Amino acid sequence: MARLVDLILSSVLLAGLYATMAYGLGLIYGVLRVVNLAHGGVIMAGAYLGWVLHKAFGLDPYLSIPVVIAVTFGLGVVMYRLLVRHLPRGAAGGPASLLLLFGVWLVLRNAAYLLFSGNDQSVRTTYSTRAVPILGSYVSVNRLAVLAIALVTSVLLHLLLKRTYLGRAIRAVAQNPDSCTLVGVDVERIYTITFGIGSALAGLAGVLSATIFSFNPAFGSGELLKSFVVVVLGGLGSVFGVGVAALILAVVEVFAILILPSYLTAAVGFVLLVLVLVARPGGLFGQRVLG
Amino acid sequence: MRPRPPRPPALVQPRTALAFTAAVAALAAAPFVLRLSPYTHNLVTLTFLMVSGALAWNWMGGYVGQVSFGHAAMFGLGGFVAARLMLLEPPSPAPLAWLVGGLAAGVFALGAHPTLRLRGPYFSIATIGLGEAARLVFTYWENFTGGSSVLSLPIDVDAKIRLYWWGLGLMAIVIAASFVIRRSTLGLQLLAIKADVDAAGDAGVNATFYQDLVFVLSGAVVGITGGLYASYFSFIEPNDMFGFDRSIGFVLMSVIGGVGTIFGPVLGAIVFVLLRQFLLASYPQLYLGLYGLLLIFIILFEPLGLSGLAIRVARRFGRGHRAAAKASIA
Repeated sequence: MARLVDLILSSVLLAGLYATMAYGLGLIYGVLRVVNLAHGGVIMAGAYLGWVLHKAFGLDPYLSIPVVIAVTFGLGVVMYRLLVRHLPRGAAGGPASLLLLFGVWLVLRNAAYLLFSGNDQSVRTTYSTRAVPILGSYVSVNRLAVLAIALVTSVLLHLLLKRTYLGRAIRAVAQNPDSCTLVGVDVERIYTITFGIGSALAGLAGVLSATIFSFNPAFGSGELLKSFVVVVLGGLGSVFGVGVAALILAVVEVFAILILPSYLTAAVGFVLLVLVLVARPGGLFGQRVLG
Repeated sequence: MRPRPPRPPALVQPRTALAFTAAVAALAAAPFVLRLSPYTHNLVTLTFLMVSGALAWNWMGGYVGQVSFGHAAMFGLGGFVAARLMLLEPPSPAPLAWLVGGLAAGVFALGAHPTLRLRGPYFSIATIGLGEAARLVFTYWENFTGGSSVLSLPIDVDAKIRLYWWGLGLMAIVIAASFVIRRSTLGLQLLAIKADVDAAGDAGVNATFYQDLVFVLSGAVVGITGGLYASYFSFIEPNDMFGFDRSIGFVLMSVIGGVGTIFGPVLGAIVFVLLRQFLLASYPQLYLGLYGLLLIFIILFEPLGLSGLAIRVARRFGRGHRAAAKASIA
């Protein structure tokens, strides 16, 4: 029984991180119809950025979040203005955008190798090993903080999309960019901002991961695939749906430890990805986008 | 009087067939005439293997337009099945082992059937998932693949030298098959599927069957390539054979050369192998990034890769007609 509580708790704690990772990928796909294969690279960049700020300036990883968000937002804007903007839209641009953004990922990985070497790094703070008792089991403070930040992010993202002019414009562009041009929405600007926000969310997920896991320049490929699973599972109906999907993935992964050797638990996510894709061939991300 | 229906174009022009045979014969004779160093000899062997793999990938990625990021699964499976057969007591002859490896890879590819109804990026993402799942499962299955320690085959220098002609033979068959597929009705049906699955279905093309067929063929050939590769390297390791980088290699070779053409993957594989050899020797720290930059530039400026560049150059020098004709052959 105590073990069950442990497993459920760790699923919930993991789900917050998974949801944060998935928002960025889902948002960019929902609005631009582009699968951002560089997503994993931006997550990795976020992790290293947090690590550098911690190491060089002694900045607490949680306090470095605004900096990381600003930098990765800029990275996303540059990626869009410089590269993605020139691709054909829609089905024709599918393979091209995949390959292009995969190229970006390779460049990011290579830059990280050059700058930081291939060694595993981790962000260690004074409270890294501290844990608090919850429901009879001990939970790391870091994981709790990550969950809290993930929840705040979800609420803020929801409010941004539903309650602000920018959010309404983003949702409108997702539905029909041509009509938006007619009523005076600057579609290119919305695309740029959306790519920026998507990247910023990936960067945030990266710096949050860095407080829990160790990472190296290849970090992010597993995260990318997990983000896919969550986005495919949850659709883009709502921020809430992504959260539920993240929880499902986390529960499946955590409970797989009970029956599978630990090495194979990573494969569970991939199998789930294929199953979900095949079971819902009509639309990867559901019919409604951000509605 | 009814006009006579136009004759369908010949599958292969006699002149093309002659040039092709001459080129293969010249390559077969090259080691005797040129006295290549063992290093160059083996590098050319590797190039033959990679050309075969790239062309087989291109049947799926170029002809059908389904970009697979998971071909390493078939490559690895073919390699390990062949290696296991060669390690039996008594060892099975290498060509038989390669064929069985290819067969196993083909059957495995059939297992990807459910993913084939996905299109575009969805298919690509599903193949990433399948490929990575295969890598983890086969790395875990130590009795078969030896786990993360390597599986070593007996080293036979003479056999490795002979691999040159086996590789050349495989490449010749795969190039010929690429021509036949491209110029036959099957090729047209595949192009129709690439352009619009639904419309192709309405026109009477059995899209499901042909996609399965091509994926199995492509997987089997990549599996055979994997088997030859296992013989070539003697040390194989699941994390490398099934690795994502290997899947990406197949994609890169075709993209560099020109997706959907025949000339393209051949050229792309040659450039890929040479570039890789050069970069790993001289600038190993820039290896990934340069490939990334290459991808970005090709996608942005010349989506048809080096083939597109060649056509453009030919046109610049006022041979537009012949270049266009070449493009339609390629």
